[in-house]
Amino acid sequence: MLEVDGTKPIYIQIADWIETEIIEGNLAADEKVYSQYQLAELFNINPATAGKGLTLLLEAEIVYQRRGLGTFVSPDGREKLLNKRKNETLRKLIIELLDEAELLGVSNHHLLSMIEAERVRKEGGTK
Amino acid sequence: MTVVEFINVTKSYRTHTVLKEINFTIKQGVLTGIIGRNGVGKTTLMKLIVGFIEETSGKVEVFSEKPFNNLKVSANSILVDDGMNFPYPMTVTDVLKECNRFYVNWDAKLAERLVNYFGFHPDARHSQLSKGKKSTLNAIIGIAARCPLTIFDEPTTGMDSSVRKDFYRALLKDYLAHPRTILLSSHHIEEIEDLLEDVLLVHEGIAHFHGSITELQEMFITLTGKKEKLALHTNGKTVFSTNNLGPYSEWIIQNKCTQKELEQMKLDGIAIASVSANDAYIALTDRPKGGIDDVFE
Repeated sequence: MLEVDGTKPIYIQIADWIETEIIEGNLAADEKVYSQYQLAELFNINPATAGKGLTLLLEAEIVYQRRGLGTFVSPDGREKLLNKRKNETLRKLIIELLDEAELLGVSNHHLLSMIEAERVRKEGGTK
Repeated sequence: MTVVEFINVTKSYRTHTVLKEINFTIKQGVLTGIIGRNGVGKTTLMKLIVGFIEETSGKVEVFSEKPFNNLKVSANSILVDDGMNFPYPMTVTDVLKECNRFYVNWDAKLAERLVNYFGFHPDARHSQLSKGKKSTLNAIIGIAARCPLTIFDEPTTGMDSSVRKDFYRALLKDYLAHPRTILLSSHHIEEIEDLLEDVLLVHEGIAHFHGSITELQEMFITLTGKKEKLALHTNGKTVFSTNNLGPYSEWIIQNKCTQKELEQMKLDGIAIASVSANDAYIALTDRPKGGIDDVFE
């Protein structure tokens, strides 16, 4: 849900939330996205603020509008988001990881084996 | 369409001038927060809009007419404040019945459901209700009246925190279902900021800021880091507020740094964050004389 004391403005949090819905497959391609009024009601915010969140997604062409019908997920919306998250969010995390490893003097080889060990543990845990 | 227009409006009480040639317009259907320090004239401004008092000079227009002594404005507006008094013997039921006669758009069913939800005894006298209960009933009247221009002046005074939350939720839901022009004042911006589209900040008698809430939130940024580093990077910039947190300091500056400047700051270990509407408001209205500590020196 929304972080009240978060450092991100509410309309960006709204856009993020819809993005996650698309990535997780809760909103499929060409499926109707919540209207600004539904979002306002859902998150207890002003509809104009919710509209700004939708505008962000429209500008990034992750959603498209059909006059009088509403807002829908672009056919390639999910793909665009996956690329964006890989190139931005994931890359940022990797840079942080490398910085920390360098600070601690962890070798590349050691780091990779640590990642692998975590992966095994995670997979074991979900079984 | 413009619903409220103030052109060079001044309002004085005897020798004390509260509003000094203030200018602003409120568009139809916008939910605007009126904020400002105690005694800056928020209530005066609201009373001028509904025509309870008359401007000293300048021009006030509501629905394109002068509101003072105006039936069209009275019939289409409501001001909810703690001065809403009803004759002593009137009960909660009586009050609702009279409102039904008075306001053309009155939603009697909604009023009744809200009164039940907030646990009013139908035979309780309005004048004998507790402070919080009185505010709650007044707020219910403000919502159910569905006036094209609805104004709430500090509506939550005396309400407990759960009632306040319920009231704001009720107001938003009714606004979504029946969009109308709403003005809302509160000392607690953090409570209302998510609800607002626009903010009108009254300071030193004028409209110090009038724009969208996101614009206000994005006007400033908070920098957190070592004092010497902050001083180095904010050289030549106005620092609006400083706060010391152990070895670190938190400074608020205008959000006008270039991408390059921001990256330089990050490299120097300065954390950059957005500010809340409340912090932006304090930054905009902070007195240059210093804080409360200076009074005791």
